Amino acid sequence: MEGPEPSEFAKERHAAFAEMMLHELPRDYASQEINRVTLAYFAVSSLSLLRSLHRVDKDQIATWVLSFQAKPKETHDVDDGKFFGFCGSRSCQFSEGPGQSVSNLASTYSALAILKVIGYDFQNFDSSIILESMRSLQMPDGSFMPIDSGAETDLRFVYCAAAISSILNDWSGMDREKAKDYIIKCQSYDGGFGLIPGSESHGGATYCAVAALFLMGFIQNDCNSSLSLPTSTIDIPSLVEWCIQRQGADGGFQGRANKDSDTCYAFWVGSVLKMLGLYHLVNKSALRTFLFTCQSPYGGFTKFPYEVLPDLYHSYYGFAALSLLEEKELGNLSVELGLAALN
Amino acid sequence: MPSSSSEQAYVPLRQRAEWADVRPVPQDEGPHPVVPIAYTEEFRDVMDYFRAVYVARELSPRALRLTTEALLRNPGNYTIWHFRRLVIDALDSDLVEETLFVDNLAKANSKNYQIWHHKRWLAEKLGPEAANDDHDFTRFILCHDAKNYHAWSHRQWVLQKLGGWDKELDFCHQLLEEDIFNNSAWNQRFFVITRSPLLGGLSAMWDSEVDYTIKAILQNPNNESPWRYLQGLYKGNPDSLITDERIPQLLLNILKENSYCVFAWNFLLDVLCKGLRPNNEIIEAVKGFTELDDAGSSDEDLPTRICSALERMDPIRVNYWAWRKSNLTL
Repeated sequence: MEGPEPSEFAKERHAAFAEMMLHELPRDYASQEINRVTLAYFAVSSLSLLRSLHRVDKDQIATWVLSFQAKPKETHDVDDGKFFGFCGSRSCQFSEGPGQSVSNLASTYSALAILKVIGYDFQNFDSSIILESMRSLQMPDGSFMPIDSGAETDLRFVYCAAAISSILNDWSGMDREKAKDYIIKCQSYDGGFGLIPGSESHGGATYCAVAALFLMGFIQNDCNSSLSLPTSTIDIPSLVEWCIQRQGADGGFQGRANKDSDTCYAFWVGSVLKMLGLYHLVNKSALRTFLFTCQSPYGGFTKFPYEVLPDLYHSYYGFAALSLLEEKELGNLSVELGLAALN
Repeated sequence: MPSSSSEQAYVPLRQRAEWADVRPVPQDEGPHPVVPIAYTEEFRDVMDYFRAVYVARELSPRALRLTTEALLRNPGNYTIWHFRRLVIDALDSDLVEETLFVDNLAKANSKNYQIWHHKRWLAEKLGPEAANDDHDFTRFILCHDAKNYHAWSHRQWVLQKLGGWDKELDFCHQLLEEDIFNNSAWNQRFFVITRSPLLGGLSAMWDSEVDYTIKAILQNPNNESPWRYLQGLYKGNPDSLITDERIPQLLLNILKENSYCVFAWNFLLDVLCKGLRPNNEIIEAVKGFTELDDAGSSDEDLPTRICSALERMDPIRVNYWAWRKSNLTL
């Protein structure tokens, strides 16, 4: 076991950790089994960022991901408001009986993200059913439900819809103007965004808001000139200050005011600044120092400093955050899509 | 009803007489599964039987009990929750009992979206009479975790849908007395003053809220939350930000005792940029503090001096203050 945390990025250990997760997840991940495709996305995109995709069989992964695609049993099912994207786990897939498989927006995003990361050729991929049925998930106020059988609606799924549309390069599946209207309503009095209108500003929600606006083409990259953006979009100066204020004295980023710094917000909040062209405002050396206190001796990253056991989520966002910091052992990140850019 | 395996030995469903007529449906992993999970035998057993009743669409009392067992082990699975709701509707089950069940599950899994969504479904069915009980429950959760995002979202939804606003501002105050740094409570306060049908909206509440916030700032000036809240109060009324005498008064009070209070300097910078005409006291305070700076001449304007001072005082944000300084002439 190590003594003081190394200030070196332990690439080999991280790649071994990600590969191990890809091959089997320990039983305490059973509570997250509904999101298995998302867990796969963390593992695969991690390996890509770690420039270690050669360790996996991409064809097998593509086949596995595609096996989660939900297909309608009857031709009228789409008109009935059912969504046909990708399921998140086997426990929502039913080939027998009258019940349909339940696909959801988050796993559809994750599935497409995996395919993109492994370089899958979308040329012959028929996305029409995904996009056509996705329209049923958009609410009159512009927000999105994740599944067609009723669930919470919030910014996470607006982001997923935008990311799906971007990856498939087809915006026929959503009303962008309505989505923008909903996003604007989620900006809080302090400049950050909450998951739903009225909710507390939160790093993850703020990422979803800004990344969705960015993907939909409503925000441009150079913030120096966009300080005079019309107020019909969002209050950018307040947003910038909110983001900057999230970096604590320990160098890490917190998700909300007066909360502890946590590895993943270095990605969520850092990405917002990156998309606004203002990542240079971050105190990079302080952030790097913080992130290395979260580097686990077992490979991967932990949520908080000096914890020992890593988890896949914080590991992925730890790698992503270090990629933003241009850690030399890591590949590039597509910030707005939250995945490894093709290197 | 069998509970978790730590309390008594789990009896596999295959061995229970009640389930003898059902053929379990195993999970079809397919070839070369990615991120397969090392499920326990118990988990696998319960899910195999759940799949069977789901596919058969068996909306029976034993199916309800089965979903209970499944949810105790897999509370995140929305397919099981959805099916349970179908069973509850078909059997016309007791919704108060169901509320007790989901509340117990919520206590153990307070950050699970599906559980809170189920609570919402129940609340909608039970209607406004259940609002107070629901608020009591979220109050309980917030007592143990005063910043639980799900609890706050749910509480906001219940207020807007089913009511119960009358004690909400007091609740916010109570939480702030316990922890003036609780940003969730500040956010809830803003939610209440802007949306409660009982209070008249922001314009009616504005004046007293400014006083409330100033008091909180004076109590602990190095707390980001009330500063942001104060800024938020003036958002709809930007002219009063630069004419309200309470603002320069507050800033001077703080900077006299706390000359290194970054939030105060930040706020002063912002109001100057928005057009505040500084009185002599403010000018003296800025010049007095920044005279110690050897960078820049003494007739630099106040915002520039403050940015330079902030670069020193708030080193984590040194790049941000330098950038603000460079944008001052724009």
